[in-house]
Amino acid sequence: MTSSSMKRVVLLSGSAAVCLALTGCLQNPNASGGGAGGGQGLDGFVDGGTVDGDGTVQILGAFGGAEESAFNESLAAFQEESGITVEYVPDTDFTTTIQQRVGADDAPDIGLFPQPGGLLGLAQRDKIQPIDTFLDYEDLNRTLITGFLDASQLNGRVYGAPMRMAVKSLVWYPKPAYEEDGYGTSPETLEDLTAITDEIQGDGTAPWCIGWESDQATGWVGTDWIEEYMLRLHGPDVYDQWTSHEIPFNDPRVVEAFDAFGDLVKKEGYVLGGKNGVLNTPFAEAMNPAFEDSPSCYVMRQGNFATGFFPDPVQENLDERVGVYVFPRAADGYEGQPILGGGDIAALFNGNDDEAIEVMRFLTSDDFGAEWASLGGWLSPHKTFDADNYPDETTRDMAQIAADADVFRYDGSDLMPNEVGGGSFWAGMVQWMDGTKTTQQVVDEIEASWPE
Amino acid sequence: MSTTAPPEVDEPTVDSSEPSPQDPAAGTQPVKIAIGVVGMVLTMWLMANSFLAFAYYPQWFGNRIFIGLLALVVGVGGAAVLFFFLNQFVEGLPRRLSEGLIPYAFLLPGFSLVVLVLIYPTIQTIHYSFANANSTEYVGLENYRTIFGDDQFWLAITNNVLWIMVVPAITVAFGVVVAVLADKLSATGEKAAKGFIFLPMAISFVGASAIWGLVYAFNPAGQAQTGLLNAVFTALGGEPQAWLNISTGRLNSLLLMVILIWLQVGFAMILLSSAIKGVPEDTVEAARIDGASEVQIFWRVTVPQIKTTIITVFITVLILVMKVFDIVYVLTNGRFRTEVIANLFFKEIFANGQAGQAAAIVVILLVAIIPILIYQVKSFREQDLAR
Repeated sequence: MTSSSMKRVVLLSGSAAVCLALTGCLQNPNASGGGAGGGQGLDGFVDGGTVDGDGTVQILGAFGGAEESAFNESLAAFQEESGITVEYVPDTDFTTTIQQRVGADDAPDIGLFPQPGGLLGLAQRDKIQPIDTFLDYEDLNRTLITGFLDASQLNGRVYGAPMRMAVKSLVWYPKPAYEEDGYGTSPETLEDLTAITDEIQGDGTAPWCIGWESDQATGWVGTDWIEEYMLRLHGPDVYDQWTSHEIPFNDPRVVEAFDAFGDLVKKEGYVLGGKNGVLNTPFAEAMNPAFEDSPSCYVMRQGNFATGFFPDPVQENLDERVGVYVFPRAADGYEGQPILGGGDIAALFNGNDDEAIEVMRFLTSDDFGAEWASLGGWLSPHKTFDADNYPDETTRDMAQIAADADVFRYDGSDLMPNEVGGGSFWAGMVQWMDGTKTTQQVVDEIEASWPE
Repeated sequence: MSTTAPPEVDEPTVDSSEPSPQDPAAGTQPVKIAIGVVGMVLTMWLMANSFLAFAYYPQWFGNRIFIGLLALVVGVGGAAVLFFFLNQFVEGLPRRLSEGLIPYAFLLPGFSLVVLVLIYPTIQTIHYSFANANSTEYVGLENYRTIFGDDQFWLAITNNVLWIMVVPAITVAFGVVVAVLADKLSATGEKAAKGFIFLPMAISFVGASAIWGLVYAFNPAGQAQTGLLNAVFTALGGEPQAWLNISTGRLNSLLLMVILIWLQVGFAMILLSSAIKGVPEDTVEAARIDGASEVQIFWRVTVPQIKTTIITVFITVLILVMKVFDIVYVLTNGRFRTEVIANLFFKEIFANGQAGQAAAIVVILLVAIIPILIYQVKSFREQDLAR
């Protein structure tokens, strides 16, 4: 018996103590029901989110400010009726935050995804409850604008339902000044639109108001432009192949779309502030110079939500101050009028919380949003939504434009994997706009960043 | 495993049943050992299960504040009880062993905490840097090959080098100058000047970035200039510039560095100021009598005596600079060639979900920081020896 054997005994008894302490511990009573893989045959339920049945449902979303209060207002009556408290947490860095929180097992009950890309990634990992387990898919599909649910589909199951629609193919103009100068308001084709902007430029003003700056998300406005051109020049079939990576990102047709947009945006004197104006103007403020007494720019291509960002005096008198027409089709491209759109998709992380499910049902129904609609800046993704709820003609015009379109396509960067659609595509647009990289370099790099 | 272990716990009891005065096992108290081991196991089991119960069954305890208080009692009380049993156990061992073991026994919990939150994650990160994006499969050196082949990575490296060359040196230089000049002011003047310069220290990195974002803001020519820098620049007759887009000569990176310098000069000043006040008055006095000018006194008398503080401040800022993230993330997110390693890492792991590549990036950052850490520890040790 030496002291070294004594030490061994001490060590052994120490490790025995640790082993003992680690066994016989409590097990997580609601361990995740996932693990079935790929959504097929998921028998259990996805159980992320906050505490079940505590009367509070936490929703994480990307929008804040005025949109946040409108959202809360739309839920006020529902909360009173159901007795459920909805706690909305806004986060402008949503794309990053949701990945972090889900990764840390700290998911909200419901996430409002501005992009289906991030949603499908989490669905793949069985973190999201498929909607067919708690919503009537057929009913929903009937009232929604056709094809909307396809965007959040994975392996034959749908993981989210839209709670608002964005129409992006819109051209805004300051009505009094624009009409006084007699510029056209119904261009049939992109060539007609170019003729209008040539005229404005000829009168000594930069025609386009373009702003891309959006903090960590800078570049997304640019991706919308490329999508518009892809859709118009090559039609929806090529567009789908492009967003699903059946054709590579550096396909000559994509380069063609970049070049077509380059002819518009990089032309000297056609955009207020040139490339620095584009890269440094917050997208929400892009059109402010158009509302000055003598506008510094006249037209902006931006989604329907732009109305929410217009200066107060303009918002108060929207129908008089602002006009809108559709961003037209290309003369020698796809024949019909395409519309690019988007929408926030509600997805459920807490599949066994009846309260969260009830909130989901309400959010994705055509009953939701009357209050938000009347405040402006919001469109229902449901065809059956009562248009009388919209506050003004401008909004009804937009809803009409969406309804009249020959083909509606979801925002392409939202369909691409997050690495591309929320990463390299954004960064690539900035580099392309800045001129640090050529079109070919940019598309090659985005192609290289596409995950296998 | 745990079912086979308990008999071994009893072994010392068997061994020490026939003690003799010369036996190294002298002074063994089997009862104390048994109480110690059983007590430790029980305490750990109780603590672990209490905390698991707080997490899994919050409804047992009612409201959250009560759970918080209970956790406090269980945590602090449990640790005390655990130490008591640990002490029992060690005291029960043979005297010679027990005396040598006591300090280690008491260090053990703290040391295991360091291992758990520092050493383990470091090793795991290095480990994962050889695995794929989900850390499920080994890919060899693929991650390193990818990041070394990525020009964003090299851009980040060169930018980090630039940050390292510029920020610590300027911060320390400003800190010294301000400290020396403030030392020559009246008592109230010194207080006011120091307070003013120290003020930015109270602002978070993100807050400071937001403030400076407004300073560098750009509006197209002909529009009202909301950015301070452009307002001044256009008032002097220049065209408005998009400052943070100008990567010529890495101007935008330099402008971002200004923010960090602004934040850190206060910290450098406070430490250096106290060092300067520690310089014995008689050495300065002697130099003055010998006819040295103020500049000579500064370089030949003051600086050599505050050298260790200068090095400490320099290295502290240096390490901070190597990890710089917030400023770049908020203002440019790496656009316009301003990428830095920490931001690249953040992008890879949280935006792109590339855990393997992200781990490889931080491993490189870690490797780069280690020599500086060693130097710092060494210089601290020399400083202690000099005292």
